Amino acid sequence: MHKQSSMKEALEGVEKEALEAIKMISDLAGAKALRTRYLGRKGVVTALLREVSGLPAEERPGAGRLANKVKQTLEQAFDEALKELEQSIAESQEEALDVTLPGRPLAQGHVHPITQIAQAICEIFQRLGFDIVEGPDVELDYYNFEALNIPRDHPARDMQDTFYISDNVVLRTHTSPIQVRVMESQPPPVCIIAPGKAYRVDSDISHTPMFHQVEGLMVQEDISFGDLKGILTTFVHQIFDEETSLRFRPSFFPFTEPSAEVDILCVICRGKGCRVCSHTGWLEVLGAGMVHPAVFEMVGYDTDRYTGFAFGMGIERIAMLKYGIEDIRKFYENDIRFLEQF
Amino acid sequence: MKVSLSWLKDYVTVDVDVVELAEALTMRGLEVSALLDRYAYLDRVLVGSVTHVAPHPHADTLSICQVDAGTGIKPVVCGATNIKEGARVPIALPGAKLLSGDTIEAGDIRGQPSEGMLCSEAELALGTDSSGVLLLPSTAEPGCGIASALGLSDTLIEFDLTPNRSDCLSVIGIAREVAAILKTPVKYPGVKLPQGERPIEELTSVTIEASDHCPRYAARVVTGVQIGPSPFWLQDRLHSVGLRAINNVVDVTNFVLMEMGQPLHAFDFDRLAEHRIVVKTARDGQIFTTLDGTERPLSADMLMICDGRGPVALAGIMGGLESEIEDHTTAVLIESAYFNPITTRRTAKRLGLNTESSFRFERGVDPVGVKRALDRAAQLMVELAGGQLAEGVIDAYPRPFEQRVIELSVKRTNRHLGTQLKRDEVGTYLQSIEVHTEPLDEDRLKVVPPSFRVDISRPEDLMEEVARLRGYDQLPTTHPVSHAVAKKPDKKLRVRERLRELLAGCGFSEIVTYSFIDKDACDQLLLDGDDRRRQMVWIHNPLTEDQEVMRTSLLPGLLATMHRNSTQRSENLRIFELGKVFLRTGPDQLPEEVEMISGLWTGARYGDTWHFKETKVDFYDMKGVVEAVLAGLNITGARFAPLTADGVPYMRLGHAAQVRAGNETLGAVGALSRQVLRNFGLKRAAYCFDLNFDRLVAHVSDEKHAKALSRFPATTRDMALIVDIGLEAHRILDFIAKMGQELMRDVEIFDVYKGPPIPEGKKSMALRFTYQSFERNITDSEVNSVHETVTHNVLKQFNAQLPADSGG
Repeated sequence: MHKQSSMKEALEGVEKEALEAIKMISDLAGAKALRTRYLGRKGVVTALLREVSGLPAEERPGAGRLANKVKQTLEQAFDEALKELEQSIAESQEEALDVTLPGRPLAQGHVHPITQIAQAICEIFQRLGFDIVEGPDVELDYYNFEALNIPRDHPARDMQDTFYISDNVVLRTHTSPIQVRVMESQPPPVCIIAPGKAYRVDSDISHTPMFHQVEGLMVQEDISFGDLKGILTTFVHQIFDEETSLRFRPSFFPFTEPSAEVDILCVICRGKGCRVCSHTGWLEVLGAGMVHPAVFEMVGYDTDRYTGFAFGMGIERIAMLKYGIEDIRKFYENDIRFLEQF
Repeated sequence: MKVSLSWLKDYVTVDVDVVELAEALTMRGLEVSALLDRYAYLDRVLVGSVTHVAPHPHADTLSICQVDAGTGIKPVVCGATNIKEGARVPIALPGAKLLSGDTIEAGDIRGQPSEGMLCSEAELALGTDSSGVLLLPSTAEPGCGIASALGLSDTLIEFDLTPNRSDCLSVIGIAREVAAILKTPVKYPGVKLPQGERPIEELTSVTIEASDHCPRYAARVVTGVQIGPSPFWLQDRLHSVGLRAINNVVDVTNFVLMEMGQPLHAFDFDRLAEHRIVVKTARDGQIFTTLDGTERPLSADMLMICDGRGPVALAGIMGGLESEIEDHTTAVLIESAYFNPITTRRTAKRLGLNTESSFRFERGVDPVGVKRALDRAAQLMVELAGGQLAEGVIDAYPRPFEQRVIELSVKRTNRHLGTQLKRDEVGTYLQSIEVHTEPLDEDRLKVVPPSFRVDISRPEDLMEEVARLRGYDQLPTTHPVSHAVAKKPDKKLRVRERLRELLAGCGFSEIVTYSFIDKDACDQLLLDGDDRRRQMVWIHNPLTEDQEVMRTSLLPGLLATMHRNSTQRSENLRIFELGKVFLRTGPDQLPEEVEMISGLWTGARYGDTWHFKETKVDFYDMKGVVEAVLAGLNITGARFAPLTADGVPYMRLGHAAQVRAGNETLGAVGALSRQVLRNFGLKRAAYCFDLNFDRLVAHVSDEKHAKALSRFPATTRDMALIVDIGLEAHRILDFIAKMGQELMRDVEIFDVYKGPPIPEGKKSMALRFTYQSFERNITDSEVNSVHETVTHNVLKQFNAQLPADSGG
C-alpha cells in the first residue's frame, strides 16, 4: 500500500510539475529540452514507468495505467505547446502592416454652417421654453411692414431695401412678419422663436441679398424690458460664453418701443479693439425692444393687460463670429472645400 | 450726419473729452459711427523753409523755390510773388488731397521739376486770401505738419442716426442732446432783426392751394443785396460739415439748415413772375428743370412752388434753374416752410432725388421752428450781403401745429421697463430734453413734448426717453415668469434635422443657395410648356439679371454649385439642399411655397486611393442613398418605378426612377440628361434625386414596433432563373411576397447577369431565400419541398427557365 501510493504521488507530482513547465515554454530549444527531460529515454516519466515493473503484481496494473495516462497527457501538452509556438513564430515573421497608411475612406457629409448655427440658436431658446414657428418667404406687404407699424411712405422703409413682387407682395425683409401671423392666430401668452430666410436689395462683403434671421417674441402679463435683457443675456452667454458681456443701446425700430441695439463684447479681441469690431471693442449682433402698442392694436391684443418683447438677429453674423469668416458671401458660394470645414 | 466739435461748442459747453462724449451719445441712442480729424486733409501739407528763390528760365511769372520741408531740399515751381528766402511757407507734398478735391502731384512745369505746391490760405481752406502764399511765423519748424504749426485741431463727429430722430439733423439738435447728457443749458443763438423798410405785403404774397401738402409757408424779402463770397467763418463752418461755399446768400441758407435743421430756399426775387408765390400741385406731364440742370417730369401729386407764371421749385427738394441766385441778383425771397413728409418722400423717391432738404422734410422738421429759422437767415443775409429787410413776414399757416398732450402713468412706465422710478424722477428726465411735465396725481404726469420731437406721440415713446436718459445699462436685468408649457416639436422640424443627418452620413454636404434664380432655368431643365414649375414668381426689382425669378426647383442651384466647384477642380461632389420652391398662384397673391429635398452626386463613388481604383457613381449608388434615407426616416412601402417620358424631362429615360409612397409620387432619382448638363455648362455625368419634402414628411412614421426574433436556425436556398431581359426585379419579388409562404423570412437578389452563355433577350437572376420557423427546427426535406413549390410557381408565372447545367 505504501509503495503504491507513493508511486501515485510521484506520478501526479511529475505531471503537475511538467504541465507548469510547459506553460512557461518560450522557445523551441527550451521546449525540446523539456520534452527530453520528461519523456526522453532517460526522462523522469520513462524512469517511473520502468519502476512500475518492480511493483508487486497486484499493484502493477493500476500504476501502469496511471503512468501511461500521465505520459499521454504530457505528450499531448508538449505537442500543443510546440504547435502554438511554431505558429506564433510564423506570425511574427509575417510582414507588418504599415499602420500609417490612410484607412479606407467612409464619406462624411457636412451640414451647412448656417444650418448648424440656426439649430444651435433654436436649441438654446427651446430650452428656455420658446416654440419654433415659421412663415412664408414671400410675404404680404401688410405683414412685412404695415402690421409692424411701418406704413407706406415712411422713412423707416429705407432701413430695409425691399424686393417687390407686386404692390402688395414682397420678399420678406426680416422674419418679423411671423410675429404678427402668430399673434393673429392665438391669444397670449406667446413665446416663440422664428428662424428663416430674409431678403434685401444689398450685396457686398457684409451683405447678401438673401440671408437668415431668427426672430423671437414673448408676450404675457407684465413682461418688462428687464426680462428682455435677462433672456438675451442668457442666450449670449450660451451661444458664446459667460465672459461675453452685453451692452444695450437705445435704437429705433418702428415695431418696438423702447428699442435697443444689443452689442456684445468683441469675441475676437475681448474688448481691446480690433479690425472686426472696428476698434470699438463691441459687436452689434441683435436688435430688440418692447413690442410697440400699435402692433398689439393691429392684432387685437389688450395693451393694458399684456406687454411683450421681440428681438431679431442675423444668423450669418453669429456664424461669422463663431467661425472666423470675414466675407458673408462665402456661405452662398458653396465651395465644397469651405463646407467641409464645418 | 456730421457735426464738428468746434461748431457744437457754439451752442453748448463741452467740458469732457470728445471720445467720452461720443460714447455717452452712442449709449443714449445717437450712434457715433466715427470720430474724424477735421484737418486730415492737411496731413501731407508741411511747414517748409525757403532756402533759395530763382526766376524760372522759361516763364516770367514763375519762380523756382528750393524748399526745405524737413526731409531735404525740394524744388518747387511757384507763381506767387510774396516769397523771399528764409520765409516759412506751407508746402503740399505729392499725394496731398486738398479740400477742393485737387491732388498734388510731382511734375514738370515748363521744363523744371516741381515736387509739391506752395499754398495760399484759400487753397488750404484756412482763409479767403488767395493773393499769395500763406506766410507762416518764422518760428514754425520745417517738416512740422501745417495743422499743428497753426494750432488747428477739430474733431468731426459722424452720427448714424435712426430715422425717428429728425430733431438731431442739425448742430443745435445734437447740442440739445449733449446738453441733456452734460446737464448744462443750450445756448440758442439770439435773433436780432434789423429795422424793416417797405412792408412785405406791398412786395409779395404767398398763396397755398394745397394745404394738406404744405401746412405752413413763411417768407421774407431782402432787397439791395450784393452777392459775393461769404466771410471765412461762414465758409469754414460749411467746410467743416462737407458743404461747399457758393455765395453769401446761398451759404446763409445752408448754414441755417445745418445749424437749425430747417431747410430754406432763396429765390431771386426779381425773377419770380408777378413777384409772388403760389404753392400747388403740378400738372401731369409737366416738365421742370431743377437747378442741377436736369429736366424732371412731374405728376399731379407732386407739390410745386410756383410764381405768377409757373413752377420755380420742387417743394422741399430742389429749386429751379430759372430762379436761382446769380451774381447779379439784388433781391432775395427767403422761403421757410413745413412740407408734408409723405408728399416730400413720394416725390423725392419718384424722381430719385435725395437732398439735404428732402431728407429732413421726409422725417419731419419742427413746424414751430419755421419762423425762427427764417428770421435767423434774414438777419444773417442783411449782415453779410447788405441790403434792406422788408418790414414784416408772410406766414401762411393754414394748418396750425397741434400741441400733443400725453398722460404718462409712472406705474406703467415701471412695469414696462422693470424699474422702480419715482414720479418726479421721471419728470426730471423728461424735462432735461425740453419735454414739459406737470403732475396730474400720485401716478400720472401730464406731458407736452416739444414741437421738434415729432417722434413722440404715445406714452411708450416717453418711456423710451426715460429709459434712454437713465441709460439702458442702468435698467435691471430680470427673468420672465415661465408658464412652462412646452409643445411637442413640430414633426417637420424633426424630420428636417434627421434628414440632414442621414444625408451627411451618406457623404452628402448641405448647400444653401439663393431663392432667386435665372428666368431661363425652366428652359435649361427642358420643362414642358405646361409644367407647373413654369409658373414663376417674378421679382420686380432684381439685383442682377440672373436673380430675376423665385426658384421652382432646387436643381438649378445644385447644378450651378456643381459648376462652381468644377472650376475649382472639385470634381467629386455629393451635395444636397433642403429648401423651399415658389409656385405662382395669381397676380398680387402669395405663391404656394413647397419644401423640397434634392441632391446631386457627380464624379467618383470612390476616389482614387491606395485602396480602390476610382469608380464612377452610377444610378444604383444614388438609388441606394434614397433607399437609405427612406429607411432612416422609417418610411416603409416606398416604391421605385421606371420613369416615363412625361414629368421629369431633365432625367435620362431608362436611367431614372420615380419614387412613390402610397398613391403619391415623392419625386424622382436618376441620371441627369446630357442635354440638361450641357445647358448648365457641365460636361461630366451627374445623378440627382429631387423629392417633395412636404410629402415625404407625411409618410414618416414615428411608430416603431419591435418584431420577435426566432430562436431556431435559418436555412438558405438559392434559385437561379433565366428570364426575359425586360422583366423588372420588383415583379418577381412582389410575386414571391404575395405567395405568403409562412416559413420564408427573406428573399434577396444576389446576382444579375446578361450575355453568353445566357441567350439573347434573356438575363439570369440569382435569388437567395431564407427559411426559418418561429416555433421549431425545420428539416431539410421540409425546406426543400417549400422551395420547390416557390420555384415552380415563379417559373410558371414568369415563363422562366432554370440554367441548363442545374438540370432544371
